[in-house]
Amino acid sequence: MKNVVITGATSGIGLAVCESLLLSGHRVIGIGRSAESSEKALSYLISKTNDADITFFNADLMQMEEVRIVSAKIMEYIDTNWDGKLDVLINNAGCVRSRYCTTKEGYEQQFALNHLAAFLMTYSLINPLIKSKGRVIITSSESHKGMKIRWDDLMFTRFYRPLMAYKQSKLANMLFSFGLNDRYSVYGIRAYCIDPGLVNTEIGLKQTFGIVSLAWSLRRKKGVQPDVPAKTYLYLVESDKHPVGLYIHKNKPKEYSSYVNRENADRLWKISEKLCSIEFGRFQ
Amino acid sequence: MNVVITGAAGGLGRAFAVECAKRGYNLILTDIFEDGLKILKEGLIRRYDINVIYYACDITDEQQIEKLKEYISIRNIYIDMLFNVAGIDHEGAFTQRSFAQINDIVKVNIEATLRITYMMLNFKRTDEPFRIINVSSLASQFPMPLKAVYAASKRFILDFSYALNEELNEKSVYVLSLCPGGLATTKSAIEGMAVQGFFGNATSNRLEVVARRTIDKSLRKRRVYIPGTLNRIFSVAGRFLPVTMVTRVIYMRWKRALSLRCSM
Repeated sequence: MKNVVITGATSGIGLAVCESLLLSGHRVIGIGRSAESSEKALSYLISKTNDADITFFNADLMQMEEVRIVSAKIMEYIDTNWDGKLDVLINNAGCVRSRYCTTKEGYEQQFALNHLAAFLMTYSLINPLIKSKGRVIITSSESHKGMKIRWDDLMFTRFYRPLMAYKQSKLANMLFSFGLNDRYSVYGIRAYCIDPGLVNTEIGLKQTFGIVSLAWSLRRKKGVQPDVPAKTYLYLVESDKHPVGLYIHKNKPKEYSSYVNRENADRLWKISEKLCSIEFGRFQ
Repeated sequence: MNVVITGAAGGLGRAFAVECAKRGYNLILTDIFEDGLKILKEGLIRRYDINVIYYACDITDEQQIEKLKEYISIRNIYIDMLFNVAGIDHEGAFTQRSFAQINDIVKVNIEATLRITYMMLNFKRTDEPFRIINVSSLASQFPMPLKAVYAASKRFILDFSYALNEELNEKSVYVLSLCPGGLATTKSAIEGMAVQGFFGNATSNRLEVVARRTIDKSLRKRRVYIPGTLNRIFSVAGRFLPVTMVTRVIYMRWKRALSLRCSM
């Protein structure tokens, strides 16, 4: 039995992963954006599984402040109920936007949620992860390939291109896991990015319009159901030893972009630290 | 360059704040939501090397404006640019809104804008230009049933800006009105554009481009900026068509969009 925290747990891949984790008897904390969607997911999960051990917390993770608040609550929960141990953190929450939208900090929303929220959440929960030599899983995507980080305009403030911003945020996920392995594998932590493939979810339909929602509503029909990638998550959660590889597709390591290297990972790490105003993984 | 932005915690205000920060301008932010200002300040100083101060106040309240004035004057700050972004709308038929709501639109969009402009002109540097950017709307170009008070209030801002610009030009005060179409700033704004279908999408503008070009145009002393080619065509066409006809067409469109939205 593993203790798992998963973000974006109320729909799509996150919900399917929750279901398969609970069916295998793991203990789960899910994070959803609103109380309404969390309740809906909770009643669905309870109807599918007997005596499921799942708790939901609500937070709009693209706001850094809310990540801080909810992670403090989760820490308290882990300390009292899970003996201070967290086996797996799944940073799954993600979004797509049609237009340049900003968070309260003035950060671009896809970058803030897809990358910075994962960065800050992992930072906040690093101690219980170290305690159980845990794993960090991030939902990345094949779309990180053929993309570079726009170092001079990370948040697309000149001219927003939705797909490029999405691709960049998924590349940032890869760079973050690379950097995390660099800094924390000595503590027994291992980070993975999963390529779920094309999945039939609603990611491109939430708060989007025009070409983006149209394109996604056509494209998603070719995708697999969310319970297909959920098997890969379950495999990464349940393996006794840390599986090899950084980028995993269907239980197997997969080639990733050559842009994912130490130099770029360190550079992004420093910027992310600054944007979250934290110090993460410095020499003690 | 020192810049004041009202309504800075909202979508457009935030985009202006980021754009100004990118250009290295110092910021004085105000909004009714203190929380949003505090977080925005943190986000900005993490990214850019600029000075940011903020003061939360209700700009419709005369006394609070006096305090804002004091806040700026005791710090000996001169101002070079003012963004009047704060504005509200309560969409819907005139009789279906409470009078308080209608009055609020006038108080925020008109009265507060005038008050802030009047007050901020005191902080103009002598012999240096002072730029004002008043956020009007594409709605200012036509009478708009179901947004009647809002559209009229934005028309007020547009006409006022033209006149003020002419009046104060020789004192090197330059006023620009920005007339954007839909901007994807909030969840409800996005839903509002989605229900309008093709035209909702076509008349919408890119927030980051609007923010950038507005400042460019203001620096070039332009008087009005209607972003988007289609919006400019609409605005010109509106001048040649009979106003009764334009109003009727708009009424049909808004009625449909509103009923779609209510059924969502």
